[in-house]
Amino acid sequence: MIWQLDLSILTLIVICAFATIMVKDLLSAAIIFGAYSFLMCLLWTEMGAVDVAFTEASVGAGVSTVLFIAAVHQTTRRVGFRKSGRGLSKAVGLVAALLTGLVLVIAEKDFPGFANPFTPASLHVSPYYITQTLHDTNVPNMVTSVLADYRGFDTMFETAVIFTAGLAVIAILRRYKKDDRCDLPDPHVISAGYPDTIIRFVARQLVPFIQLFALYVVAHGHHSPGGGFQGGVILGASFILLAISYDSRMIIGRMSEKWNILLGNIGVLIYAGIGFLCLLLGANFLDYSILSKVLPATDKIMARSHGMLGIETGVAIAVMAIVVSIYINIVSCGKYDKDE
Amino acid sequence: MSFVEQAPVLIVILPLLSAFLVNMVGLINRRYCLPFAILGIFGSFTASVITLIRIMEHGVIHYRLGGWPPPFGIEYVIDHFNGLVLVTVSFVSLLAVIFSKESIKQELPEKIPQFYTLFVLLVTGLLGMTVTGDAFNLYVLLEISALTGYALIAMGDNKALVASFNYVILGTIGASFYLLGVGHLYIMTGSLNMANLLTILPDLYSLNVIFIALLLILVGTWIKMAFFPMHGWLPNAYTYAPSAAGCLVAPLVTKVSVYIMIRIMLSVFSPLYVYSVVGLSDTIVWMAVIAILSGSILALAQTDFKKMLTYLIVAEVGYMVGGAWLASSSGLTGAILHIVNDALMTLCLFIFAGIVIYKRGGQQLQDLAGLYKKMPITMAAFTVGALSMIGVPPTAGFFSKWYLILGAIDAGKYHFMAALLVSSLVNAILFFRVIEIAYFEPKVDHHGGDSHKVAIDEAPLSMLVPLIIVALSLIVIGLYSGDIVTNIIQHSVPAGL
Repeated sequence: MIWQLDLSILTLIVICAFATIMVKDLLSAAIIFGAYSFLMCLLWTEMGAVDVAFTEASVGAGVSTVLFIAAVHQTTRRVGFRKSGRGLSKAVGLVAALLTGLVLVIAEKDFPGFANPFTPASLHVSPYYITQTLHDTNVPNMVTSVLADYRGFDTMFETAVIFTAGLAVIAILRRYKKDDRCDLPDPHVISAGYPDTIIRFVARQLVPFIQLFALYVVAHGHHSPGGGFQGGVILGASFILLAISYDSRMIIGRMSEKWNILLGNIGVLIYAGIGFLCLLLGANFLDYSILSKVLPATDKIMARSHGMLGIETGVAIAVMAIVVSIYINIVSCGKYDKDE
Repeated sequence: MSFVEQAPVLIVILPLLSAFLVNMVGLINRRYCLPFAILGIFGSFTASVITLIRIMEHGVIHYRLGGWPPPFGIEYVIDHFNGLVLVTVSFVSLLAVIFSKESIKQELPEKIPQFYTLFVLLVTGLLGMTVTGDAFNLYVLLEISALTGYALIAMGDNKALVASFNYVILGTIGASFYLLGVGHLYIMTGSLNMANLLTILPDLYSLNVIFIALLLILVGTWIKMAFFPMHGWLPNAYTYAPSAAGCLVAPLVTKVSVYIMIRIMLSVFSPLYVYSVVGLSDTIVWMAVIAILSGSILALAQTDFKKMLTYLIVAEVGYMVGGAWLASSSGLTGAILHIVNDALMTLCLFIFAGIVIYKRGGQQLQDLAGLYKKMPITMAAFTVGALSMIGVPPTAGFFSKWYLILGAIDAGKYHFMAALLVSSLVNAILFFRVIEIAYFEPKVDHHGGDSHKVAIDEAPLSMLVPLIIVALSLIVIGLYSGDIVTNIIQHSVPAGL
């Protein structure tokens, strides 16, 4: 904990937050927002929350920036605020924000000191997780065991949130009618006019390595930072890289809409299904220890570890499919398949 | 596995699993979506009823997810209060999904699989928020119900897109406030389990930060339930949503938010803290009075029937918030009973609005003209709903209002009682205006023929049956509200009040 470093990162974060809101060019706003996420990621790492930092880097700084840019590319770069009649609501908003800020500052006076090891948060449930994880679940990375086992029910619904987001994008953007065309010339090509051989070659060579790394992140989540969310996002990002360097038809040829939807469903179903299997075998929902009945040569503790690997795989599949599906829906103005 | 023992988790898991099945069979054939959606919600309804019966026999049920003991794992805690809300939510969803069949064919024929998946996921979210005993788990399910709600509303026309965008912004702010409040509690206690928080917090009651955590959570839930003046997102969002989505969102989302507020007040903070230590009661009851009056007056100004209903929701939210903060046992009883009644009344009126839109293609007040002759059964059911909104005995609406008024008298808050009476009067004016238009003014006949030969042209059965059931249930609940109060609600009202 180096306070000079914390302070400078926090200052930059505040600057980035203001800049994101104030800047008139939406593309710049998206990029500054990406920088904001990277700074957050640094801050998490500096505070020792490496798993959170990993997620922030892959989701916040990585994929969401790409999605923002794709959305800006399909709409407009300029902010279209209405100038008239907004004075009052702006004033009300400002007062509400200042009031909230004031209240938060007052609350902060009662907080325990920063990085104080004797806070309630580090003395109440945390010691149990720290000391018992290996004994309970045989998983060395306690973040994974809290996420996927102790509080695995939350994570299942977090995966369902991602699924819902993908579905919401389809529900709102997807257009099935043939005459309801996008007015852009060829929405599939985000890098129109630049069929750059070097970029395409490099992207093609990189993709297998990115995917291999993603699989490692998923599989090694038990022992090191990482897991299904991060791995899934990286897998999805590798497809998006191809889509940007070539065009999105290349991806649609490999992952059709039906496949994407199916994979998204299967991913979450793997998670909920493992939970339901535990219930069918006679234990409570998501109580993986009962899986030792069906898994060969596994005791109750190891079964928890295997159960977590199973659900992490499901998360990765779902997240990958959803990220790709959201990207293609945005970039193709909801037209999706090329031959429609 | 025993169904009864696992029922608490099945309430949430059955609709969740069916959501994915709905989505996958939708890839094969759109017609298979509805049966799976109905099946999931029906399973959830059965599990809720079983759970409620078990609670009435054996008391509070605890269910450990993943087998972990609280506060280390997540726990479901179901007492009489959320048992009742669970049955209400699953019952209303079941009727709404049956109603949706024809309406969705007309309004969104291309996106049936997406619609039903989002629909069932929204039901999952609402049930999950109600059943949980963990403050953070509640937030995760809040995200699910919010996201699905935004998407379902945005599936309407262009106006719905704009309304949904406003809802996204305000809803996200509301959810962030809730999360911020829970975060403050976590910093100070290290726990997320509600029962655990209830035992740790008394030592910290003197600190400002606990009060601020309560404020943050309250403001978060108020934005989510559209408590005046934080109601700005609601009228347009609910007016322009597809009818089938409106029938689910309008009756339930605000009511579950009220449930969350009461749950946090009673089970995280204690009645002692929220009513005595913190001097908020007077202020909040005044806010509720303003909410009731503003909602009623704004409803009077509307010519759009559905928009009029949305402003009535804003007024009804005032009823429940005020009732919960009266700090009297009848007031709290009234607020809890009103969660059930208002969900059913709103469902009744929104199904009616959906039928009008389906048959007439519009939702303005003049679109209702001549409906009594054309659709006598629909109008009879609507009249029951309207009478219940006004608060005419023996419909359900009368009894919750009765308890609320008793509570206002107990607490000496006569301004709240006056607001309730004014609001009933306004409701009477509003609905008699509607009934007048529908009864006396015949629809203008362009062919110049006589208006005597009006053929009866009822709504399809799949719309009519849920409407009749909900209208009947309003009367049945009205007749049995004494039993509901003594057998269920009394157990969840704290004794000291």
